[in-house]
Amino acid sequence: MSTLDPAGPAAAKIALLWWVMCGVFAGVFVLVVVLMYMAMRRTRSATPPLGKTGFVIAGGMALPLLVVIPLLIYSLETSLALRQPAGAFTIQVRGHQWWWEVRIPEHGIVTANEIHIPAGVPIRLELTSADVIHSFWVPRLHGKMDMIPGRTNTFWIQADSPGVYRGQCGEYCGTQHAKMSFEVVALTPDEYRAWVDARIAERKKRREVAEPSRGKVVFRQAGCAVCHTVSHFPEATGLAGPNLTHLGSRRMIAAGNLPNTRTELVNWIVNPHTAKPGVKMPATQLPSEDLNALVDYLETLK
Amino acid sequence: MSASPEDTKAFNETWKEPSGFPGGLATVDNIRIGVRYMATAFSFFLIAGVFALLMRIQLAVPDNHFLGPVDYNRLFTMHGTTMMYLFAVPFMEGLAAVFLPFMLGTRELAYPRLTALSYWVYLFSGLTFFSGYLFDMVADVGWFAYTPLSAPAFATSGIDFWLVGLGAAELAGIAAGAELTVSILKLRAPGMSLAKMPLFAWAWLVTAVMIVFAFTTLFVATVLLESDHALGTHFFSDAKGGNHLLWQHLFWFFGHPEVYIIFLPATGIVSMIVGTFSRRLHGYTLIVVGILVTGFLSFGLWVHHMYTTGLPELSLYFFASASLVIALASGTQIFAWLSSLWGTQPKLLAPLLFVLGFMFIFVLGGLTGVMLAIVPFDVQVHDTFFLVAHFHYVLIGGAVFPMMAAVHYWAPKISGRMLSERLGKWSFWLTFLGFNFTFFPMHIMGLLGMPRRVYTYRADLGIDGLNLAVTIAAFVMAAGFLLIAFNVIWSLRYGAVAEKNPWGGDSLEWSLLVATQVLFPRLPVVNSRHPLWNANEPQEPELERLVETLDHRPADWRATVLVNAITGKPEALVRLSTWSYMPFVTSIGIMLVTIATIARLYLLVAAGVVVTVAGLICWLWPDPAETERMQRETLPQETGLPIFTTGAKSLPWLGMLFLMAVFGWSLATLFYSYFYLRLYAPHWPLDGLPLPELLGPALIYGSLLIGAIAAVCAWHRFGRSKIRSQIGFAASLVVGIVFLGLRWADAWYLEVSPRANAYGSIFHMLGWAMDAIVLTGVGLSAAALARSISVTQDWERILAAQVQIVAHYWIFSAASAVLVYAVLYLSPYLI
Repeated sequence: MSTLDPAGPAAAKIALLWWVMCGVFAGVFVLVVVLMYMAMRRTRSATPPLGKTGFVIAGGMALPLLVVIPLLIYSLETSLALRQPAGAFTIQVRGHQWWWEVRIPEHGIVTANEIHIPAGVPIRLELTSADVIHSFWVPRLHGKMDMIPGRTNTFWIQADSPGVYRGQCGEYCGTQHAKMSFEVVALTPDEYRAWVDARIAERKKRREVAEPSRGKVVFRQAGCAVCHTVSHFPEATGLAGPNLTHLGSRRMIAAGNLPNTRTELVNWIVNPHTAKPGVKMPATQLPSEDLNALVDYLETLK
Repeated sequence: MSASPEDTKAFNETWKEPSGFPGGLATVDNIRIGVRYMATAFSFFLIAGVFALLMRIQLAVPDNHFLGPVDYNRLFTMHGTTMMYLFAVPFMEGLAAVFLPFMLGTRELAYPRLTALSYWVYLFSGLTFFSGYLFDMVADVGWFAYTPLSAPAFATSGIDFWLVGLGAAELAGIAAGAELTVSILKLRAPGMSLAKMPLFAWAWLVTAVMIVFAFTTLFVATVLLESDHALGTHFFSDAKGGNHLLWQHLFWFFGHPEVYIIFLPATGIVSMIVGTFSRRLHGYTLIVVGILVTGFLSFGLWVHHMYTTGLPELSLYFFASASLVIALASGTQIFAWLSSLWGTQPKLLAPLLFVLGFMFIFVLGGLTGVMLAIVPFDVQVHDTFFLVAHFHYVLIGGAVFPMMAAVHYWAPKISGRMLSERLGKWSFWLTFLGFNFTFFPMHIMGLLGMPRRVYTYRADLGIDGLNLAVTIAAFVMAAGFLLIAFNVIWSLRYGAVAEKNPWGGDSLEWSLLVATQVLFPRLPVVNSRHPLWNANEPQEPELERLVETLDHRPADWRATVLVNAITGKPEALVRLSTWSYMPFVTSIGIMLVTIATIARLYLLVAAGVVVTVAGLICWLWPDPAETERMQRETLPQETGLPIFTTGAKSLPWLGMLFLMAVFGWSLATLFYSYFYLRLYAPHWPLDGLPLPELLGPALIYGSLLIGAIAAVCAWHRFGRSKIRSQIGFAASLVVGIVFLGLRWADAWYLEVSPRANAYGSIFHMLGWAMDAIVLTGVGLSAAALARSISVTQDWERILAAQVQIVAHYWIFSAASAVLVYAVLYLSPYLI
């Protein structure tokens, strides 16, 4: 999560800007503190260097201008470099209290809390919100962009090399703002292609075999389907919670907070409020065989 | 020669203030109220400080379970809100209420009863705000309460306590702002021109004007949001044409100046202390220019809180550049102080220590502020702990350290006792080191990716060590602040008795031994920027004669000298109101309105309005005996200073000017909202509603022009024919009532309801604002009519100011009507 450990061109530009400002301003600060010290010391003359007006004009106006004008020009240059690259591949992200809906329109993929991208190319993001204002932030890749209900902000990220980069909501959005996280998974272009193909194949497979498993029945009867969508599952079209079509293939659950293991999944279903107090998903009490069947089913949703 | 014993006795009797219970509720003494203000504000500071410590305990270790998210979110909301609204500004206002009359060489603030009202409203609003805890209804939306999180669809009921408590506190602030502006500009010692005014007064002059405009904007914003909650309007629901960014624009248009409203008075304190300790002050003019530039530009900076909202880049750079100009203004002040101190070897006593601590911290906070104004950097650290670190450097360093310097410096003037220097040094080092070790690491935590407003964080972020260190340091800092409180209490009993001028200061407060009830029975004459240092300046015999004549006079009614705002030349002798229970009663009425609004008991709201209006009438209705004494007064003949004045020489007229400014600015804010909503609407009026009808409303709004003409005629006829002017008042009264009736009838049959969509909401809200303006005009006309009947002799003199006020106010109403009509009815036709 460190902004000082950039992994993409945008974040690198900003980190460089930070180090330059940090160096220059540390100098200014030390200068002022030294002057404070000298002002308090016994001196030969009670007139500051350059005379009383000269001192004020030099220190209070010339010095800030000398520092600030080049800085403004430099930052403008950085801003231009941070402009949205043209023709980039688009991913849509929609903020919800307290999770992220992720859509890749080109491949018809809908998932949550995990954004797979090819490394080395800029990705265009279309950001909006379903409820309150959130802010999209992956510190190692770029700064923030707000997600505001009723409007769409565009933004972009790029990861230089494959890896997993954590993201976090940057605008206070209610009770579980603290645990509204996600991951950007950057893959090599080949791996990315394979990941997309696997998702498409998975959906296709489900269309062909519509087996009525026990887990599916529980999914419907326990009320999961009211809030969650699973592709090719006619009753599961809820939109309040994350789309679970590819749940089994995700690294994390609970908006980037828990590893996607069987135990965590069970705990999460039985009582999500232990890990994320205030979360909108209700606790679900199920007989253990039902629970096992449900989790078996969820794990097949690759 | 000194005043006659009879005059002295009568004078002291006139200025005597009630005390104890219930007398203390009626006092209007600026010193007592100012001290109450500071004590109350400091109590809120301690409470909010404890809240901060609770948050630090929660964050001391990762994945902590000391507090849950709901409690934590409430705590940071209450902490921020309390510090900004209930501590920082009111504490500074209290300091100003006590010391401005002292420094300016006048007997009281301009509107003593308003001071009292403002305090009571502030106290009650703070209590209302905290009473949410009794009902488990506490806001958890953060101190800037972004919609839609704070709008009806998502907010918990705690938001009502936040909005309504805050709304009342804003009114108290606006009242204080108006009062301080008039006091600084018009109530000064004879001879004190603007250029001889102490810098504390300069800083407060700019701050007070800023308060009036900034707080009015926030007041309108809170009214709009509360109306969404209570009345079902749609200013902030995007599905109905409302706009979330409108809240952000309005809020930060207040919120950015707010920072300088807190900071500028602090620079005033620093200038006074640096001047005293170095026995000189360099760059007076540059400092004044710096204050003015800061005040002016602070209203053009609000968007720099909104860099990440997706606004056009070019507009962001405009705001970035403006932010950087502020750096020049602040830098100038810092270097002027350094230049003053240079080589004068000042004694390093507690007040100066806190001032030096301020400089150290504030320079660092200012530098990170410049960083945050840089757009690409801001999008990275915006809403992280880097920002938390920055604004605590600016606010604690920039305001709380100067406040603590002020406490050590000026407490002896109030209590007559010196604070312990040893405890002062200890508390300085505890707060200074505690502060830096609390907030400096937060910069790093932010850069390492810790967002603000999170109740917990993961162990793998690599920030747990820093967090633990910060928590420990926070307790050290808290110990330092407690030690200051202890020092103050200790000094009341054991402190060394203070001399008249223990620090060798230059300003007028050091010419008096200790706060007495009447500051200057004999007003000082000022002919220097440093009146106490330059006693040998050439005297001004004319002014000396004047203060000689006014020594302990007028004896049987309260008055002080009003001066020309620029030259400081005496222009009039103005009446100051005496103690009264009515400010307290009025504040109870206002409180009833606010509490009943929260509870949605609209009958009780009406009862509150009745109490408020009744309180105001009893408050403002002059005491006939006092009027008689003023008529008999011989001072106008002796001094040439008039008593019954009009225009800029009359305090009521100046007060009315501010009422009009507040109304006018509220309208401007609503116009801005109207066009902002329209800008983002697909078509206007929304939802295919028809364009507004032109003719009927033109007649309704146009009728106010007749009211204005009637009131102006009444003003011009006055002095010649009382009955004709009474007809004029009556006519304006009738016009106002007819307007209200017709406007309501018209609104009733309108196709669009305030609950239909944002268009309907803003349409009706502007109508209601117009109603409020006209209703006030009706009240003024009625009052003028009633007074003109009750005053039988000498009325052309006694009522001159009141008649002028009514006429000017009606002109304002008519002008408002024209503008509102143009916006609501004409503008939809033009494109």
